[in-house]
Amino acid sequence: MKVYDPDFDRAVMCEQIVGLGNGNLEGVRSNIKRKRLSSEVGLNSDFKNLKRVTVSGGGEWDHDRRISKSCFPVGLRGLNNLGNTCFMNSVLQALLHAPPFRNYFLSGRHNKDSCRKASNDRFCLSCDIEVIFSAVFSGDRAPYSPAQFLYSWWRLSENLACYEQQDAHEFFMSVLDRIHEKEGKTRNTSKDNPAGDCHCVVHRAFSGLLRSDVTCTTCGFTSTTYDPCVDISLDLNTNIDHTLHIASNKAQKSTDTGISTLTSCLDLFTRPEKLGSDQKLFCQNCQERHESVKQMSIRRLPLVLCLHVKRFEHSLARKASRKIDRHLQFPFSLDMTPYVSSSIVRKRFGNRIFAFEGDESDISTNFEVFAVITHSGMLESGHYVTYLRLNEQWYKCDDAWITEVEDEIVRSSQIYLVFYVQKPNEHKSGEDSGCHLLSGSGESYKSIAGCC
Amino acid sequence: MRSRWEMSETNEEERGGGNYKLIFSVFRLLFRYRTLWLSRIMSSPAENTQLASHLFDELLGSIIMDVSSECHRIARLGLDRNLDDEEEELRLSAQARARVADPSNSEANSKYVVDIFGQTHPPVATEIFDCMNCGRAIVAGRFAPHLEKCMGKGRKARVKSTRSSTAAAAHNRFDF
Repeated sequence: MKVYDPDFDRAVMCEQIVGLGNGNLEGVRSNIKRKRLSSEVGLNSDFKNLKRVTVSGGGEWDHDRRISKSCFPVGLRGLNNLGNTCFMNSVLQALLHAPPFRNYFLSGRHNKDSCRKASNDRFCLSCDIEVIFSAVFSGDRAPYSPAQFLYSWWRLSENLACYEQQDAHEFFMSVLDRIHEKEGKTRNTSKDNPAGDCHCVVHRAFSGLLRSDVTCTTCGFTSTTYDPCVDISLDLNTNIDHTLHIASNKAQKSTDTGISTLTSCLDLFTRPEKLGSDQKLFCQNCQERHESVKQMSIRRLPLVLCLHVKRFEHSLARKASRKIDRHLQFPFSLDMTPYVSSSIVRKRFGNRIFAFEGDESDISTNFEVFAVITHSGMLESGHYVTYLRLNEQWYKCDDAWITEVEDEIVRSSQIYLVFYVQKPNEHKSGEDSGCHLLSGSGESYKSIAGCC
Repeated sequence: MRSRWEMSETNEEERGGGNYKLIFSVFRLLFRYRTLWLSRIMSSPAENTQLASHLFDELLGSIIMDVSSECHRIARLGLDRNLDDEEEELRLSAQARARVADPSNSEANSKYVVDIFGQTHPPVATEIFDCMNCGRAIVAGRFAPHLEKCMGKGRKARVKSTRSSTAAAAHNRFDF
C-alpha cells in the first residue's frame, strides 16, 4: 500500500503554485508555518546513540584480497622532496591516480610537439606533468624528482614562487588553472561560456555546478544562480548535535567529545543560511531590499569530487593564521544524494515527490574515495602525506616512501583534501516500493508546469 | 487526551528502524517534560490549571505529530537508506582512532625501514641533476632552496647591488 503518492503530492504542489498565481515554483510561499526539521537533526550521526549497531565485520582487513608482494599496482612511485615540497608531491600523487586525468595523459592526448609549436610559452605544465606520468608509470621504482615541474610551476606562478611550505590546496588550484589554460586553448576555439562548458581534461574531470538559492524572507520569492566549481571547500563543522544527549542523561560536555564528520560538513554547506541584516539583497518580487536566506546545493556532480576541508584559518584582523586540528571522520563510500539540488529543493517543500529537472541525469550519486591528502603538524612546519587506494589496498605516499597501510591508519588521519570518484550506476534490488518513487525508475510522472 | 499518550507508550516496539526509535525517544522526553510541568501546575491552586494542561497537551501533541509525520515520510520514501552504512563508517572510524592511539600498537607508529619495493631512502634526497636555470649540478633535496636563489625569488634572494664599495659595505647581506 503506497502511503505517499506522487499524484497527491503533485496535487498539493499545484495548489500552492496556483495559489500564488504566477506559475513559478520558485515563488511558492511555503505553507509550512512551523519550523521544518532538516534531515540533519537526529537522522544521521545522532542515531548512534539510539540504535543498537550490529557488527558486520566489514572493517576487518581481508587477507585474501591482498596482492602478492611481487606484483604492485602500476603508477606507484615515490617522489623526492626537493626542499619543503611535500605539498607538491602530495597533490601530484593524487592527480596521478585521478582516473580521467591519468587516462588522458597516459594515452598521450597532450601532444608535446604541437604544444610547443602552437604557443610561445616556454613553460607548459601539461608537458611537464605528462613527463611525470610516463616516469611514474614506467615501472621504475626508484623515487622520481619532479624538478622540472617545480621550475615550470614557479615560472608560471610568480607570486607563489618561494622556498616555503605552500598550501596544498592552493597549489592544486593553481596547477588545474595552468593545465586548463593550455588544454582549453588548444581544444576550444571559442571562449568558455559562463555555464562552464569547457571540455578540457581539467573540467571534464573536476568540474561541477553549484546552485545558489536566495529566498526573500518577506515574500518567499527565490532567485537561483549557477556557478561552476572544480572543488568544494567545506568549513569544519564543530557543531555537534547534543539534543539526544539530554535524554540519555549524559552531561553536556564541550564539543571535543563529539565527532565531526565530512557529511556533517556537507550538511553545513547545504544548510539554509540566514544572511545578516547588513546583507539585505534586492528582491525582484518586492522591488526592495529585504533579509534573505541563502542555500547552496550541487546541481551537477563532477566525475572526480575534490572536497577541501578548511583547516587553516586566516584572520586579517589579528594578522595570524591557525590550524584546526580537529579530527574529521570521512566515509570510504559517499552518497551525495542529500546534497544535490533536487534533494535540497524537495526537502524545502517537505520532501514532496515531484519531477525535477536534473532527475534523469545519468550521473550516479555514489562516490568512492581513491586519494586522501593529510596534513600533520603545525601550520608553519607541517607535513603533507597522500594515501592512495588502489585495488582496495591503501598505500601511504610520504615523499619518497611508499608503504602499505591498513584502513584504520587512513581513517584516523587528519584529512585535508579528499578525492572521490564516481561509482558507475548499479541497479539496486527493489527494497521498499517507496524507494522507487524518488529514483524515477519505472515511474513516469508529468512534471508540473513551471517546475524548476 | 489520556488515550493518545497510552497509545504512544504501547507502540514502543514497532518495526525497528532508527527513525521510530527517534520518534519514541522524543515521546519519552516530552512526556517527561509534561509530567514535570503538570507537577508544577498542580502545586498551584489556580482554577485554570485544567485549561493550562489541556493547552500544553495540544501543543505537545502537535509538535509530536509534526516530527513523527516527517520522520515517517523520510523513512517510507527511503531517504535515509544509507543510515546503516553511515553508522558502520562511524563505528569503524572510532575503532580506528582507538587502535592507532594505543601506544602498544607498534605497527601504527613504526618508522620506515624499507618501503614496499624493499628500498631505503635518506632523509634528504641524494639524487643529483642539473639545474634548469643555471646548469649547475644540484642535490635533489636542496633543489628548491637553490632554485629560489637562482631565480632571484623569495625573501632570501640576493639583493642586486652596484659594484661601488660603499654599496658593498652597506648592503652586506649575502646569504649562501
